[in-house]
Amino acid sequence: MLRHYIFLTLTGLIFLALAIVFLFFPRSTFSELERRELKRAPEFSTEKLFSGKYTDELSSWFSDSQPFRDRFMSLSMSLKKLMAYNPGATDEQFSFHQADNMESALMPGALNAEESAAARALQAETDALPDQPAAAGADAPINSTRGGTFVIGSGENVRALMSFSGTEKSANPYISTVNEYARTMPGVKIYSMVVPIAIEFYCPAAAREKKGLYTPQLPIIRHIYSSLQGAHPVNVYNTLNKHSAENIYLRTDHHWAPLGAYYAAREFARTAGVHIPELTDFDQHTIHRFVGTMYGFSKDIAVKNAPEDFVYYTPKNKNHTCTFTIINLDKDFHVTGEGKPYKTSFFKKFKDGSSNAYLTFMGSDFLIVKVEGGPRNGRKLAILKDSYGNALPGYLFDSFEEVHVLDFRYFPRNIVQYCRDNGITDFLFVNNIFNACSTGVAAKQKALLTRKAPAHTSQPSASASPKEAPAKEASAKESSASAKDTPAPTQESQAPAQESQAPAQESQASTSAPSAPEPPTTSSDSPTQN
Amino acid sequence: MVFSDLFFLFVFLPAFILLYNLCAWIDRRRTSDPLHPSMIWRNGSLVVFSLLFYAWGEPVYVLLMIVTVALNYLAALWMTGVHRQGWRKLALTTGIAVNLLVLCSFKYLGFFARTLNSFGVGVEVPEIALPIGISFYIFQSVSYLVDVYRCEAPAQRRYADLLLYISMFPQLIAGPIVRYDTIAREINDRHVNAEDLSDGVFRFLIGLGKKVILANQFSEIADRFLANGLDSLSTGGAWIGILAFTFQIYFDFSGYSDMAIGIGRCLGFHFKENFNHPYCCSSITDFWRRWHMSLGSFFRDYVYIPMGGNRRRQWFNILVVWFLTGMWHGASWNFIIWGLYFGLIITVEKFTIIPMHARIPRPLLHIYSLLIVVLGWGIFYFEDIKALGTFFSAIFGFTPHATDFTVESAIFDNFWLWITAIVFCMPVRSWAAALPQRLFPTHSAVSGTISTTARIVSAALLLIVSVSLLIGATNNAFLYTRF
Repeated sequence: MLRHYIFLTLTGLIFLALAIVFLFFPRSTFSELERRELKRAPEFSTEKLFSGKYTDELSSWFSDSQPFRDRFMSLSMSLKKLMAYNPGATDEQFSFHQADNMESALMPGALNAEESAAARALQAETDALPDQPAAAGADAPINSTRGGTFVIGSGENVRALMSFSGTEKSANPYISTVNEYARTMPGVKIYSMVVPIAIEFYCPAAAREKKGLYTPQLPIIRHIYSSLQGAHPVNVYNTLNKHSAENIYLRTDHHWAPLGAYYAAREFARTAGVHIPELTDFDQHTIHRFVGTMYGFSKDIAVKNAPEDFVYYTPKNKNHTCTFTIINLDKDFHVTGEGKPYKTSFFKKFKDGSSNAYLTFMGSDFLIVKVEGGPRNGRKLAILKDSYGNALPGYLFDSFEEVHVLDFRYFPRNIVQYCRDNGITDFLFVNNIFNACSTGVAAKQKALLTRKAPAHTSQPSASASPKEAPAKEASAKESSASAKDTPAPTQESQAPAQESQAPAQESQASTSAPSAPEPPTTSSDSPTQN
Repeated sequence: MVFSDLFFLFVFLPAFILLYNLCAWIDRRRTSDPLHPSMIWRNGSLVVFSLLFYAWGEPVYVLLMIVTVALNYLAALWMTGVHRQGWRKLALTTGIAVNLLVLCSFKYLGFFARTLNSFGVGVEVPEIALPIGISFYIFQSVSYLVDVYRCEAPAQRRYADLLLYISMFPQLIAGPIVRYDTIAREINDRHVNAEDLSDGVFRFLIGLGKKVILANQFSEIADRFLANGLDSLSTGGAWIGILAFTFQIYFDFSGYSDMAIGIGRCLGFHFKENFNHPYCCSSITDFWRRWHMSLGSFFRDYVYIPMGGNRRRQWFNILVVWFLTGMWHGASWNFIIWGLYFGLIITVEKFTIIPMHARIPRPLLHIYSLLIVVLGWGIFYFEDIKALGTFFSAIFGFTPHATDFTVESAIFDNFWLWITAIVFCMPVRSWAAALPQRLFPTHSAVSGTISTTARIVSAALLLIVSVSLLIGATNNAFLYTRF
């Protein structure tokens, strides 16, 4: 009998300890590991109660927001790792993780929960972004339903890769979109830069040979570039390939590294016929102990145990002015309007060990960014980009008179109008291969051409805009631009300092484009050229 | 709510333990006879928590359950109130008919309508969400009526006690199908000592571990291969996927039964075992004596034998029983095919394997049975008949890919998981329990200490590992709650 009492007492104590932790310790609100805000306690309503939704949400809130969640998850990942059998780890060895959560996290429409943190962080700050939980915009839709991540190598050289399986046909909507831009804006030089993702250069031989998740990206890029009409291909493939022994892709993040972006920028400068400084002419900065998104995607502890240096470069010349216009989103990530333009630094500073290092560039994707102060060469560049494009503009400040950075997912205005108003001469698409193979992304980008002018954007009058003269000028230009866009008379009456609350029409306009791209194989609406 | 939900473990369960013990204290104070303490308060709290447990997932259908129980209560009272055999039979038939009507309307109506539609009869397909656990509690209701009819247990005089039997949360939503005569006495007369508690707690933790450590991981592997992308499924992938599902469904379901039996034990109820190491079977006949035993015995005692059993129309009886077994698992043709598949094989076994059983080497029998069972899970997994076809052509090699690296990855990245699963399909627990006694046959104190220590260590590990795996688990639903 005694031993039963001993057993019951000890087991009971462990259970009690866990129960006390889970019931009374402060609950987690953000998962650094998964890069998302955790669920909040649901609001009660009788309707929700009777549909079973309330109790359901209560349960999932409780398990989602456990105290020490990330620590328990790390423990759980270490445990899972113990289940593997590794006879002598080699660099050729790799493990594969299915994309259970990645798929949803990478869908442009669905990822927003994580980006909202970034947006909030940015809206709160005025100058430097505090090193607080926020997330790099993960924007690449996964094209294969059986997609996933590879984790290759061992020890410090672990590299996490996203699998890719697009087809040439799946790129046709993208081609048609770029060509449509070239037709619509004959006065503007259109460039298309399709960035391969890391697996193209680092796929382990064993996985390459076997049928499964590896698809060569080069044929797709070739297909895109050979089908462009009136637009100029920026072939970054060769240069990236040539430098693949260098750290051109982040090992622990799904983005490329700033170094890779530099080689791409140099290739673009060559294509566009502008000067670009040597890499040594930039200031080099390092964020140590960076572990990126792939840790959460792969849920593989090996990734966490192989932190890397995030090395980025800023121009030596500090005379540029950078104007941010924040795009306001509601909680469902529909665009609700624009904030007042304000001057800030293009580069944000992050501490060592921060998992948000890729947010160094602009700190967010919900922005219209305009950089002035380049050489007076009459060339004005607009970049329509996904998050791969964030790393690029910093190298081009001294190549173009103005650089405008627009995110295709959130850009709230008509793009033709925008280019005309800003005198854009060069227009660059930067898309990673996932987005170039996505019907939804292509449709969304195409829709920017014909978008009706938004009914309501914020009307910062010149007097209310930031202090310095150049900024005043910039915002005056901005507001005159949007004044043309916005026939709504109500705007003028708004208090200038007040952030405008834009009604719902705007969100309709910007999100009517399909946000969850279909798998490439279903893209039957491709253009006729091949 | 399910047992492996953190909310259940750390909110519901502690609250229940506190209140139940408070009620036990009240009960003790209210009674003078210590051998037969009153159960009123304890049973009351058990009913309240059970209804809460059910309402957590089905806030509206909980009323359906309460009404169903009321109808059964009245039917049984009617049955005991009359003495003529004919009237008793009428009461029984009416009661069973009402139960089956409820089951059919909520579980099978959509299926019938779709089937009629596919035969060209245009009827509207009703959209009815399946109430959780309806298959289990309707069968328990039927068990109640039949046991009362057969005088194996008296009818409940108190509605609340019948509600307790049907709704008791340990076995409410995914079985085992506890038969009324098994626990009729224990509803109002049960005792718990430290050994019951200790065994019950340990049993619960074993079940939790089976579910969270094994079944959840295998469900990830199985879904990776089988859930979508079937067109590019390789032969190796089909086998690994379905093997993973084979482990998943066993550890999922038997884990749930373990947890139910464990909680029941802590409360003083003795549910019958539901699994007896089914993957150690030597024939399919044997398999079904070891797998989901409560369902098998239900069909044997309440359908097969009343229909005449082996004595008359045996083939027809077998066909009906297996058709129903299949259909019980879900309103879809693949389950019916699955049931009939086993019915057919068991029939064939009666003439082939069973008579020759002693002469065939056991490993051969074992391999044969497992092959049949694993292929059976293939039928079970795919509710979509087209996907079922794709899967079976892949598993038999009619696919361009023999294997791909995902297969290798699934094996080696989870190597020890597979080994653990294979080991725990065997009766290791009874081996382990007997081991200290065998090692130190003369020193009972030593062997006792060893087994207690082992039990404490395994319990602590099971609890901590399961909880950490549960945090961030995305695939935590029990398979059998949807039946």
